[in-house]
Amino acid sequence: MARAAVVGAGMTKFGVHEQPLQELFGEAAFAALDDAGVGSRDLDALYFGNAMSGQAENETHLGPRMASHIGAAGLEVQRFEDACATSANAFKNAVQAVDAGVHDVVLVGGVERCTPETGKDTPEMTRIFASASHRQYEQPTGLTFPGVFALLTKRHMHEYGTTEEQLAEVAVKNHAHGRLNPRAHFGKETTVEEVLEGPVVADPFRLMDCCPFSDGASAVVVVSDDLADSYDAPVDVTGVGHATDVVPIGDKAELTATQAARDAASEAYGQAGIEADDADFAEVHDCFTGAEVLASEAIGFAPDGEGGTYAAEGRTSLGGDRPINPSGGLKAKGHPIGATGTAQIVELTEQIRGTVGERQVADAEVGVAHNLGGDAATTVVSVLEGRA
Amino acid sequence: MSDALDYATWAEAVREGRLLGLSCGCGHTNGSPTGACPHCGSRDLERVELPTEGVVHTETTIQVSPSTFEERGYQVVVVELGDTSGDSKRSSGAKVMGRVDGDDVGIGDGVRLSGLVSEDDGHPAPRFEAV
Repeated sequence: MARAAVVGAGMTKFGVHEQPLQELFGEAAFAALDDAGVGSRDLDALYFGNAMSGQAENETHLGPRMASHIGAAGLEVQRFEDACATSANAFKNAVQAVDAGVHDVVLVGGVERCTPETGKDTPEMTRIFASASHRQYEQPTGLTFPGVFALLTKRHMHEYGTTEEQLAEVAVKNHAHGRLNPRAHFGKETTVEEVLEGPVVADPFRLMDCCPFSDGASAVVVVSDDLADSYDAPVDVTGVGHATDVVPIGDKAELTATQAARDAASEAYGQAGIEADDADFAEVHDCFTGAEVLASEAIGFAPDGEGGTYAAEGRTSLGGDRPINPSGGLKAKGHPIGATGTAQIVELTEQIRGTVGERQVADAEVGVAHNLGGDAATTVVSVLEGRA
Repeated sequence: MSDALDYATWAEAVREGRLLGLSCGCGHTNGSPTGACPHCGSRDLERVELPTEGVVHTETTIQVSPSTFEERGYQVVVVELGDTSGDSKRSSGAKVMGRVDGDDVGIGDGVRLSGLVSEDDGHPAPRFEAV
């Protein structure tokens, strides 16, 4: 039996948007509601994610404002903040609520603006992003988020021999996938040479190893298992795992493990009754190319130490035996922080329905989403499957 | 907050050229103050004076810095303190994050505490130099 089902999915194009937050969210929410054939007044609750618009746009208490914009004021709205794992956490709580019988039909989604449309330039947005690292024991060093994943990736390179060329292969792959996704921030391919010639952001990462600052929104309609068959195209949620790891980085037991992702994957796979090998594809949190290497190993798509090799050999490409990030991932699709988690659920839903066109994973029956927050200290892993 | 070590005490020690940590009966020594051991939950922690020499566990050089920091091109390191090869995947010594100025150091290189960085609203970060 499924824990819940996704019956509607929608998202904006990720990129640069001048609309205010509620209008962006509304676009994704109405698309998800229309896809499900559900009206705003049919909802029991809204599970909403936004990570940092308080800092970026001086906007807080967004829940009721979003609900009002979509004609759903009066609902109970809960708002989540978990850095980049913000809306996956909202999704987890929504699944738990319908699984427990607290609600029957809920909307889950997130919105964020991170581009200069917010009025914040790169140094200022870099400062705001760094607020997810430890205020006392990390930020005073001048650490940035590219820096966080650079520290983890450098250690992985040291232990396993992962190379900058292999990291570049991740960017090349995800840009190739993103070119097939009309909602992706970037629509052009790149090459290993182009990645390796880019300016260094935090070594080993060059500009093209890093996901962009993006604006966007995403949403899904989640219903209980016993209601799912009354909708046109339900996709089952069979497992959701959520775990945390020690902060700061220095106190983690092991830097390359991203242990929260391993624990969350183990929990999600256990609920779904699957092994990693049973999954046909995954959307993982490739905020940086090195992050995809770590994620591919943590969720069991590649053996430890071989994430880079798998990417370089094309095994994680569309058409490979372990496809990862058919959407283009954060790298090419874009990364509006609070919208990223549910955007992964949108991609899983549409892949399993078989409606994504050129970037379709063949026989996509079981999909895995890996959404990571902060210095890998939060990870939510979800398993979605075609409804039997 | 643990009686054993709070932020103010840790920060004052950094300003004095010392590093303080917390040792737990479970075998972990942590380089940052917490109220309980992050690995086992015990509140029975002992404040310890950490070695001021160690090896680089990982490092990166930040070329795009936050608005708070005026200069770029600084190296951020995680240092495993104490007498260690630095090559164990699961490090045994306490680890702290800091800055290295001057010569770039790589993973496995020896470093020693050399002062502090205090560019971020007075919050100190340990500064290391190559041995």
